[in-house]
Amino acid sequence: MADPAPSPRPQVTRSEAAGKFKPSRAQEFREILFGLVKLDGVRGGLIVTPDGLVINSELPQRFPVEALAALAATLGRELELGSDRLERGAFRTALFSSDDGTVFVGGSPVGYLTLLGDRNVNLASVRLALRKAVDRLQGTWKPPAAGAA
Amino acid sequence: MLLERTWSGITSLVRPPTAPALFRKADGFRHEGRYEEAADLVAQGLLQAPNSGVGHLLSAYLHVVFREMGPAKNAFRRVLALDPYHPRALFGLARIALEEGDYEGCKPFLDRALQYYPDFPEAKALQEMVATWTAPRSRAAGTAAAMPIPTERLRPPVGSRDLVLTHTDGALIFGQGNEERQRQLAHHMTQVYRIASATLARAGLGALHRAAIEGAKEMTFLRSDAGLILSVTFSHDTEVGAGLVQVGRLWTELDLKG
Repeated sequence: MADPAPSPRPQVTRSEAAGKFKPSRAQEFREILFGLVKLDGVRGGLIVTPDGLVINSELPQRFPVEALAALAATLGRELELGSDRLERGAFRTALFSSDDGTVFVGGSPVGYLTLLGDRNVNLASVRLALRKAVDRLQGTWKPPAAGAA
Repeated sequence: MLLERTWSGITSLVRPPTAPALFRKADGFRHEGRYEEAADLVAQGLLQAPNSGVGHLLSAYLHVVFREMGPAKNAFRRVLALDPYHPRALFGLARIALEEGDYEGCKPFLDRALQYYPDFPEAKALQEMVATWTAPRSRAAGTAAAMPIPTERLRPPVGSRDLVLTHTDGALIFGQGNEERQRQLAHHMTQVYRIASATLARAGLGALHRAAIEGAKEMTFLRSDAGLILSVTFSHDTEVGAGLVQVGRLWTELDLKG
């Protein structure tokens, strides 16, 4: 089955963001990530802002969080810029597979959601869950009027 | 005496917060993803303390979050004007240089950051990644470069576009579309390959072989091995499995033994 059409992605602007945050936003980030790292084959993940700040991390101790955050933010920015320059529409998700596992990246105005999967991870189901999570992250930027409509 | 103490207590309550207090609060908001509120506080703080390195650094971070790279660069530079070896400002400028494609310009910032702060894992990760981009070709890449590549066998699948084949150092071998588009595609796919490869390596997952990238309008699929990157783009409704099969078929047609 083909993937459903994506919902439009809002651009981040200061005016849009002003005064529209829910008090539980940090909690929502935690919930989003926690929901994803429970999926079969997902070893862990993190949410990192475009400047490389780790908002939330659910990675086993053996993973180098700071190094992965720097690389994930750099990768997220390249995917975002490339999609824009090549007129492919806003970047949404990506997956990168090796013989031993897969790195998933979801893009949102808030930052980049990165997941690490093992070699048996189900690419389609994790990607679908990641898209939903990205939509939820993007939702935290929507003005209340739009959300209520 | 009592009146004096009471008055002093009242004035301390209504006294505006100091710049350091504003910056502390702003940083707290930033960690909660409350960027706009953080930006307001940083602006207030910088009015009080225009030469605060902390203030300019926070300002730079927030500009990056809002994808305002010009102002971010200026703010990072202001930090460096106050402290020429500030590792976070150097790292911030390195990242911006990297996304602008200025790899030679990126390296000195990372080197300087690590010169005084060798225990800086983020800068180390980027430095090691960028070092591989200018290193002499690996044996595998060299072999692929020396191999004749039968690009005449590449038949773009129906409904596909932007088929491109490059070396992992960015050298274009084959591309669809006009020259400028081919150049942009080769550059972007090479960068994605390089950064994703570094990320997989850091996660202990080995070499990148396959990728799928979803934009709002299109899906791009990538296959890589032996120092080569092949990528092709389809409409957005293409399933990941089907797209990977298509790019795998193209790879097989090239018979690269990768």
